[in-house]
Amino acid sequence: MVRFLARRLFFCAVLVVMTASSALLLTRVAPGDLTLSLGPFATAREIAAERSRFALDRPIAVQWGEWAGSAMRFDFGESSLYRVPVGPLVFQAAAHTAVLAIGALLVATVAGVGLGIVTGSQRGALPGLIRMASIGAISLPSLLTSLVLLFIAARTGWFPTGGISSVDASNHWTDLAGHLPLPILALALPVAATFERLQSAALAEQLHQPFVMAAAARGVSKRRLVLRHAWPVSVKAITAVYGLAAGSLLSGSFAVEIVTAWPGLGRLTYDALYARDIYLVAGCVAVGAAVLSAGMLLGDVLLALSDPRVPDVR
Amino acid sequence: MSIRPSFRFAGVIVSLVVVAAFWLIWRSTAPPANPTARATPVRGGQLTAGIRSDPKSFNSLVAADEPSVIVSSLLQARLVRINRATFELEPWLADTWEMTPDGRKYTLHLRPNVTWSDGAPLTSADVLFTFRAVRDKRVESALADSLVVAGQPIEATAPDDHTVVVTFPAASGPGLRLLDTLPILPKHKLEGALSNGTFRTAWQTTTAPADVVGAGPFVLKSYETGQRVVLSRNERYWRKAADGTKLPFIDQLILEIVPEQTAGMLRLESGNLDMLQSELRPDDVPSALNAEKKGHLKVIELGVGTDADAFWFCLKPEARKNDRRFAFVQRREFRQALSYAVDREEFARVVFFDAAVPIWGPVTPGNKTWFTPNLKRYGPDLDKARAVLRDIGLEDRNGNGVVEAADGTEARFTVMTQKGIAAYERGTTLLKERAAMIGVALNIAPLEAGAMIERLKTSDYEAIYMRPLMTDLDPAGNMDMWLSSGGAHFWNLEQTTPATDWEKRIDDIMMRQAATVDLARRRELFNEAQEILAENLPVLYFAAPRLYYAHSTRVTGVVPSVLRPPVLWNADSLGVTAPPRAN
Repeated sequence: MVRFLARRLFFCAVLVVMTASSALLLTRVAPGDLTLSLGPFATAREIAAERSRFALDRPIAVQWGEWAGSAMRFDFGESSLYRVPVGPLVFQAAAHTAVLAIGALLVATVAGVGLGIVTGSQRGALPGLIRMASIGAISLPSLLTSLVLLFIAARTGWFPTGGISSVDASNHWTDLAGHLPLPILALALPVAATFERLQSAALAEQLHQPFVMAAAARGVSKRRLVLRHAWPVSVKAITAVYGLAAGSLLSGSFAVEIVTAWPGLGRLTYDALYARDIYLVAGCVAVGAAVLSAGMLLGDVLLALSDPRVPDVR
Repeated sequence: MSIRPSFRFAGVIVSLVVVAAFWLIWRSTAPPANPTARATPVRGGQLTAGIRSDPKSFNSLVAADEPSVIVSSLLQARLVRINRATFELEPWLADTWEMTPDGRKYTLHLRPNVTWSDGAPLTSADVLFTFRAVRDKRVESALADSLVVAGQPIEATAPDDHTVVVTFPAASGPGLRLLDTLPILPKHKLEGALSNGTFRTAWQTTTAPADVVGAGPFVLKSYETGQRVVLSRNERYWRKAADGTKLPFIDQLILEIVPEQTAGMLRLESGNLDMLQSELRPDDVPSALNAEKKGHLKVIELGVGTDADAFWFCLKPEARKNDRRFAFVQRREFRQALSYAVDREEFARVVFFDAAVPIWGPVTPGNKTWFTPNLKRYGPDLDKARAVLRDIGLEDRNGNGVVEAADGTEARFTVMTQKGIAAYERGTTLLKERAAMIGVALNIAPLEAGAMIERLKTSDYEAIYMRPLMTDLDPAGNMDMWLSSGGAHFWNLEQTTPATDWEKRIDDIMMRQAATVDLARRRELFNEAQEILAENLPVLYFAAPRLYYAHSTRVTGVVPSVLRPPVLWNADSLGVTAPPRAN
């Protein structure tokens, strides 16, 4: 297990360095640069000053080398968009996204697995309805889901229509909790639906396995058959994708974060890309890749714990 | 296999519940603003406005992005101000001034007893310091070029603490209007930064709010990246309302950062925001009017916008030297034929849902001082357009529907436009249809904004459709567009010598009008320049949109403007009459 973890951690580090470097280089070679924010008709003097400030007047290899050297000391450069160091910006946004992602993951896990057990073990109108709802939730783009939820919030006033906090809130934590339902639901719905479909299919398959039939023949109750015999085996289907889902949630969803004005990593990455903010793009991608890798690692560990036959871990 | 057979009717029940919930949501409306609210502003309360992105800096000498400029206008004051509703120059920190007969020297008298928000007196030394900061090369101020006349900077001297003498290197048409963009900054807070070369990074968004001092109506209370800027009343603000009430009326102004405009509209309609910082998109007007009927919003027509969508070909000879199509694109008759082909009434109807007026030049009826209705008008006349093309040797010789020159070069072009803007998509689609009727094939290529601007800057394009924004209503403020050497002379950027005779004539006329003080004479000269442009059509304009704006009904004192920000330019006189709606 230790060798497995060490190997995966090394892989994660390589992934982070490669993706962040690629992001930096691709942003540099893509059409346009951060001087675009000066407008189409900025003077040559303004453009030259801005390019010099962000090392765009130096060869690409030199720029990458200087950035990589600084990044080793946790100095990720300055954001052209916000005019502040990239590090604190990215870490604050990642923390905001983490709150959202963890909440969404909890909701998706409880709802997705629970409903998957119902649909995988029953027939009738309710499971049919759940299945339809799941397919709908998977099919809807998150931008649309967010807008629909925002519309509901705006029409009903049931929860705040955006942001992470209110001005002059008396209690930070209750205020934060009040702002969570909208983005969490928008993020959790498609993930919960995916979990439900996976859980349902896996459970239905296990319920037809000989060991379940044998238990049924021994007179084990139906509830016990599902929850104690078939479900623990079927949960492997979820754990296989759990890390990926966790990683992608933690690396931020720009659609949900933009619509709900959540100051997270997805929105920051989008803003950085749009403004060609080269060091901020690299910083966001580095953190995104790190959490994605961590999520995948978590998924592998969960898979190993749920199924000791997984050979890679030994 | 089933663990709960009793769920037989659950599906029906759940379906009914879902339907009922949707019906309730649809029927549900947030309560309207207090219908008994008084129409006149009262002192106190909080106003929440939406802005699209974070400010880059609290120092608008170095950051020219819209959020930074808005925040700066709320924190700082200027010597004089252009009233955004009347376009007239009005006193601000300077309450009176005199001009010498040659129009080169102005003596401005500062209001007595004005203090900065920290209590320090505001004097002519602060004005001189601001001029010095703008001119300092290390500052690389975005405003430096706007305070230059005839290639020389505007100078300022101070005979005493309350008098400033501003000297222009040459007579200037706009005169003191040039100072409208210049926020006066506190010498006692920023002199150290200017001396040690750190002025450019002073007052970044990480600066402690108490260190950001101004003479504007508000002071900075807090800023949270990606969330909001909170401003509170400047208790030392110098302006008073007509009835003697100290301004500003409101205690707190919150600028919520709402990056997505549809989300912004939903939040505005729900009462979560009191106003946005942009006019309504044509697509949003019906829902805003619906919200107005319910008493949630007040929708106002700002008037005809001062900017219009434009279409132009790349006319830079060096960029298209190997392109045989350039031979006929360069001829004004070809561009005139396209102009004849477009039905501008239809354009206004289809692209802007009837909320637009036809135009034939870059200055719209929204710019009341400088608009002329007497420009050459084109079409719609398809026969005339085809005849003009025939006269310059372009005919459909092979019957494929596209006209070609005698050497077989077809009039087929790619038009770049910005992706994701519905009005641009409708505009280019209509233009393509009308051009096809006279045998000119236009292929539309929507591009991401950054890529398009890059192609524009390097003249790497055939044709573009977009809305180039005028930086100023006064033509002397847009010399970079009108002069052939200008960086915003977008059809042929930054020419070393004028590429055509008519551009040379416009250069001469514009230089003369910029150096003329008499407004009537300036208008005559500028009309002449507009007529030359309308005759030669380097850029085609079709319709100028009427602008609509929506704000919460609880906001009072709104004096709308077609210029941005449409309402917050007058923030010290805004008030609220009721608390925000429940949600």
